[in-house]
Amino acid sequence: MKEFLLEINTEEMPASHIQTALEQLTQKIEDELRSSNIPLSSISTYGTCRRLVVVGGFEPGQEDRVENVTGPPKAVAFDVDGIPTAAALGFAKKHGIEVENLIVMRTERGEYAGARKIIKGKPTDDILSQLIPQAISSLSFPKMMRWGDNQLRFSRPIKNILCLFGGKPLGFSVGKVSSCDWTSGHKIFFPEKVRVKNFADYRKALAGLGVIVDPERRKRSICRQIKKKLSSLEANILPDNELLEKLTYDVEFPHVILGQFPNEYLKLPIEVLSTAMREGQNLFSVVKGKRQLPYFIGVADTPKDAKALIKEGNERVLRARLEDAKFFWEQDLKIKLSNRGRNLDRVVYQEKLGSYQDKTLRLKKIGAYLSGKLDAKLEKKHVVEAAEISKVDLLTEMVREFPSLQGRMGGLYAKEEGFPTSVWKAVYEHYQPTSMEDATPSSLSGAVLSIVDKLDSIVGALGVGVEVSGSKDPFGLRRSAQGICKIILEKKLDFSVHRLLDKTLKVYGEIFEESKAEIKKRCLDFFKGRLQYIYEYQGYRYDLIKAALAPGIDNIYHTSLRLKALDSLKERSQFEPLIHIAKRVNNILRDQPLYRVNSELLEEKQERELFTTFSIIMDNVQPMIARGEFAKAQRMVFRIKSSINSFFDHVLVMADDNRLRRNRLALLQAISKLLMQIADYSQIVVD
Amino acid sequence: MSIQELIMNLQRFWADQGCYLAQPYDLEVGAGTMTPDTFFRVLDKRPWKVAYVQPSRRPTDGRFGENPHRVQKHFQYQVIIKPSPASIQDIYLECLTSLGISLPDHDLRFDEDNWESPTIGAWGVGWQVLLDGLEITQFTYFQQAGGVDLFPVPVEITFGLERLEMFLEGKEDIYDLDWSKDVSYRDLRYAEEREFSAYNFDLADIKLLRKSFSMNIKEGQRLINRDLLLPAYDTCLKCSHLFNLLDSRGAISVTERVKMIAQIRLLVTQIAHKYVSREAST
Repeated sequence: MKEFLLEINTEEMPASHIQTALEQLTQKIEDELRSSNIPLSSISTYGTCRRLVVVGGFEPGQEDRVENVTGPPKAVAFDVDGIPTAAALGFAKKHGIEVENLIVMRTERGEYAGARKIIKGKPTDDILSQLIPQAISSLSFPKMMRWGDNQLRFSRPIKNILCLFGGKPLGFSVGKVSSCDWTSGHKIFFPEKVRVKNFADYRKALAGLGVIVDPERRKRSICRQIKKKLSSLEANILPDNELLEKLTYDVEFPHVILGQFPNEYLKLPIEVLSTAMREGQNLFSVVKGKRQLPYFIGVADTPKDAKALIKEGNERVLRARLEDAKFFWEQDLKIKLSNRGRNLDRVVYQEKLGSYQDKTLRLKKIGAYLSGKLDAKLEKKHVVEAAEISKVDLLTEMVREFPSLQGRMGGLYAKEEGFPTSVWKAVYEHYQPTSMEDATPSSLSGAVLSIVDKLDSIVGALGVGVEVSGSKDPFGLRRSAQGICKIILEKKLDFSVHRLLDKTLKVYGEIFEESKAEIKKRCLDFFKGRLQYIYEYQGYRYDLIKAALAPGIDNIYHTSLRLKALDSLKERSQFEPLIHIAKRVNNILRDQPLYRVNSELLEEKQERELFTTFSIIMDNVQPMIARGEFAKAQRMVFRIKSSINSFFDHVLVMADDNRLRRNRLALLQAISKLLMQIADYSQIVVD
Repeated sequence: MSIQELIMNLQRFWADQGCYLAQPYDLEVGAGTMTPDTFFRVLDKRPWKVAYVQPSRRPTDGRFGENPHRVQKHFQYQVIIKPSPASIQDIYLECLTSLGISLPDHDLRFDEDNWESPTIGAWGVGWQVLLDGLEITQFTYFQQAGGVDLFPVPVEITFGLERLEMFLEGKEDIYDLDWSKDVSYRDLRYAEEREFSAYNFDLADIKLLRKSFSMNIKEGQRLINRDLLLPAYDTCLKCSHLFNLLDSRGAISVTERVKMIAQIRLLVTQIAHKYVSREAST
């Protein structure tokens, strides 16, 4: 194996671009080498905001291959004495083989003259110098740019490309940059070029030039330095993995600084303090327990801050930002949320869906409806009050300055104004969860407001014809729908989605071009797709998910109970016969109109028995289903197995007598309907 | 170093890089990007190097002279170089060094920040440059303006002069800065900030602003139809400022905001496309 080393040196890339670029590069190199039959021992990657680094071990070349070439038929190639004819001579000459090396090959069509040719493998160098420039120029980033007079699109301008294979430079160019065997150090401290021979050499040379090329080592160094700086304070940073990840890539040589700010700003909520530090300045907030201390942690890209200028500079900037934040906090508190709310008509929610005032009015109505359907402990009044002020913080100076504080800020202001806990918490939490990993609201009022807010957005957007497909989801509707499902499932909320959608559409009034039934159907399909996604994400089997969702998603919480019931029984032996029965019943009933059972017409003993068993099961199962006890209900319906089997064994469903036939079909339809209330068993795959 | 020395240093440095030193444009603009020396010259295929100070007005940023770093008018130093040179970051570092900043003693960071202006149909990719946490420069590779893809690609470097000066003087209040040895920023600007804040927030005549806006939109379209692109563009700048004033008066409603921005953008994109096709045919 020979060592491969690639470094793409660029201007500062965003941290989020680096990981995807390294993954794509690895994938492209691996795929290409595999398809070129070049064995590889390993590929690993490193990087900073200015460097994408790939290191690998590859065989120096393809193995030589032996290929059989077939010539003329034996009878044509050799005369009766076995002397090669002109045809054989021509064939040998064409392939550059000595005529005495021709052999006879047996094929399906008979014996032919032929030869074994050795095809020399291509050296890996040749393959790489084709592959690498192509891989680099085909990388895709979330946002791409051009620069100078290059047609190439990349994350940020490429400055230099170092590429070695077995210690020798590989020659190629990308855009206007030609590959070489040197790199350069930290842009401010050691901008000089350095020639390298291999990865060990490269890593060591860069370490001497102010660059730690391994992100894991930089991250460890940052964490170690933070711990050391905070040990005497017995404090920690407020955990922020996203910021830590960003800083790990943003710096080539991390140096942690501990700065201070005046105590007077500590009266600001920690949410405001930490946001002011993080946004714009990339600083961590320092806490003891849950209490903010008048300190911050910053990560500079430098070996040292000998004159403490970096610390002082950051302190000065932060003071100005906190002074602003304090001003906003005080100003905002001067106007009550309810008074400020009058101006919500000036804030566009969505062009066709009106202002945030319109949205607020809808949230109040839908929120009141949904709270009425849920827990009696939940005060409807509080949800309505929370809805009323939920969007007002969009008009505050603080949220204008720090948009990421929306919702939380409204909650904090409501708390200051003395609103009850369930009101301010609902406002505070109503954007949660923002992702599948984010926590759902801790309060029930917050859960309700969050569901209502998101549902209003989904219905409105789908109503005005916003399309969600592939990477296209301009309003984040998928995330909203998943958020709603996540809340319902975690809080075990038991209500009718159909009726909530009806209510929402009614509240919207006559503003949509399409019919309400049409929009409702689209919403339900959308939610079904999201539930499927969530359950797959949780690791359930695809066919079980389909079976559990087939009875409908009117009660989203119940879909999860159905699925769990199916999942818990999937290994049981009784399960399979039931699935076969369901499939059989479905096949018989396909394309049949609906009939009604007439017990007078049950002639045979087995059909009477089946009807009796069914009726008993039906009476028992109904309340279980209503309570969501699907596993229990399922065990109960299993008991139909023997009666239905003897029914099929002894009774002819498709009887000649019309009345008998329809009655038997009706009985099967009733059974099928009962099963469908639990799951569509016919969807389940059996081996 | 006073502000005027800072300006002279920047002028000298960028003139040495081959930039033509333009004078500030004589209309109210929100940023140096909006003046014809940038807007038109980035659209065509010819090389272009320019640097200038541009007073920039943002009515909603006014604070009646009471905030130590927010003002409704500030001064930008704008540099445009097309095509962007391969070594532009190094040139930029050199520029900072030439201002007497010893970079090894500080933390200089290029932090992702992609600029866009829907009003003039423009966007770019780049960074805010942070010096010990202070944003001193917006550094952008311009990708589109007036809805037109830009190629060759211009680089735009915009210094906030007051920010940079606060760093150089180590001061925390903008009004304490020295414009020259004898004249302070307060002497020159404090009264202006107070008066304009009152005008922008409380006194500007909304009716007059609205009327001027719609008349200028009409005038812009008329001029575009006559192929008078530079005067037409001036009407767009006027509309943009009138819009900002109406905004700071809190006079723009839901539907209006979207509509007004779209009206300006419609003019600007027509101008850009006409300019490009005219340039291509000469």
